[in-house]
Amino acid sequence: MSTKSILNDIRNGETFENQDARNHFLRKVALYVGLYGAAFLFIIPYLWMISRGFQPRWQLFAAEPYLIPREITFEWYSFLLEGTPIVRWTVNTVIIAGGATLAVLIVDSMIAYSVTRLNWPGKRVVFSVIVASFMVPGIVNLIPVYQIIVELGLLNSYLGVMLPVIAGPIGVFMLVQFFKDFPDEIEESARIDGFSTFQIYTRLVLPMMKSALTALGLFIFIWTWNSFLWPLIILQRESMYTLPIGLVVLQDTMTAQQPGLIMASALFASLPLFIVFLLLQKQLVEAVQMQGTVG
Amino acid sequence: MLDLIAAMRTEGPRQAINLWWQEMVDEYDRRESAEGILLALPYLLAFVGFMLFPLLYGLYMSLYDWDALSPEQSEFIGLGNYQALMNDPRFWEALWNTIWFVILSVPPLVVFALLLALGVNRNVKGQTVLRTIFFSPYILTVSVVALIWVELFAGEGGLIRHWLAFVMEDPPRFLIDQTWAMASIAIATVWWSIAFNFIILLAARQNVSDRLYEAAKLDGASSYRMMRDITIPQMRNPLIFVVIITFVGSFQVFGQPYIMTDGGPRFATHTIVMYLYTTGFAGREFGYAAAVGYVLFLILITVSVINYYVLSENE
Repeated sequence: MSTKSILNDIRNGETFENQDARNHFLRKVALYVGLYGAAFLFIIPYLWMISRGFQPRWQLFAAEPYLIPREITFEWYSFLLEGTPIVRWTVNTVIIAGGATLAVLIVDSMIAYSVTRLNWPGKRVVFSVIVASFMVPGIVNLIPVYQIIVELGLLNSYLGVMLPVIAGPIGVFMLVQFFKDFPDEIEESARIDGFSTFQIYTRLVLPMMKSALTALGLFIFIWTWNSFLWPLIILQRESMYTLPIGLVVLQDTMTAQQPGLIMASALFASLPLFIVFLLLQKQLVEAVQMQGTVG
Repeated sequence: MLDLIAAMRTEGPRQAINLWWQEMVDEYDRRESAEGILLALPYLLAFVGFMLFPLLYGLYMSLYDWDALSPEQSEFIGLGNYQALMNDPRFWEALWNTIWFVILSVPPLVVFALLLALGVNRNVKGQTVLRTIFFSPYILTVSVVALIWVELFAGEGGLIRHWLAFVMEDPPRFLIDQTWAMASIAIATVWWSIAFNFIILLAARQNVSDRLYEAAKLDGASSYRMMRDITIPQMRNPLIFVVIITFVGSFQVFGQPYIMTDGGPRFATHTIVMYLYTTGFAGREFGYAAAVGYVLFLILITVSVINYYVLSENE
């Protein structure tokens, strides 16, 4: 639909040659107003976050709030970088999200390959149990897993946050769905050519599954990067915090209200995933839609 | 397995086990089985250790007056925790608050997501931009969402109250007003979580064949009829999925009230998961908190099953 044809619609609408054309026109106007109105409302929180983080004190505490800054300052960002451990928190988040993603991809693709392509006793029961565990909300396990983490001495460790993520069934399920629909003739012929199972897995299966693995990897990375409740209970030392925890603690420890600093920290914490989002939006949409087909 | 038991009756145990073993050897290649199990093992270890075992361990803990520092000294109290739970007015208050949040958040999360998906699917100009905007909050962490909305709702210097003051006398004091606090949290949640539903429903709508609409148009069907008789029925499964998952998600709301209101004002936004968190980690009552987890689990399963039946019957 080009601007020209919209203008044409408007012109047609103005003449109101018949009821149909008029209804059509009105409906189109309602559609555009609805969608772009909603889009505008959706953007306001972003504008607010970006704008407040660059406003000097006098604007932040003025009687009338400014959506558009009159004057720009970087003082909140420089304070954030120099006066808070936010860089450390970012490093922690990258390690935890990256490590969990890598582990999930390796471990899940191995079992998915095994379940779809290899025949072993008990396989079906095992897979049904994994699928059934999909119904278990993570919150039920909060207390027992915490107790287990404590007893393993993994409190305040990266591994303590990563392990429960690795146990999640969604990746196994997503990959099994994907592997199932994949023709196995190539594998058959590779086997005849004397490839071992391990070689087939690393040289054939993994490269062929690239799109599914990318989708799953993105999903796990974002999930772990953003997760809140788990790191909140496992990481109790300031130097170990991830960004989501650090941000909240930062807000709590401020003696006075510091909207500029808080909004700067919010923008800083979401920027990495925003860049990932803009670069890989297509794959991310696929990842979400894969979950839709899982259900 | 059942065959084995049946064979034990008729053939005697030794003979039965021999037969069963023979069958296994015939049916499964030994090498393939070994490789298959080996490949599955790393995940299974994590799965058993951090999913399956905790599920039973939690049930066990919930029967004890659990001592977090020295679990072996915990005292068995049977269903005591569950009993105490049922008698705690704070629990019922938290449950009611959670249901209230579900009522406030689920309908807009499903209905608006559907409307946006159907709208964006029309041939509108700027489709990609619109999709990007509606999908973007998906990548935010709950902390960022909560902190932004705290600033938006703020009494002093908040944008929303400032704008509302132009059209109304005395705008609500969102997060510190007992009647508005939960609604404010629901608004922030809708902005944040609609992205997932939107993308699922957008894909679902794109999977509906255009031919159905062409045929309906030839028959002179109105757009309302097409919506009712084609779009909704064709999108039924994804819609059921979205409804169930939104219910389950909203029942487990934690981060937003934890950050935005800390459960206040006067416990008005104290939800079940917040109750679990505070009894567990502030009160150190692990057995009690584990019981809360199990009760929530039962509630969620019941709600999902009811949802599934109500929605599937409704054809």
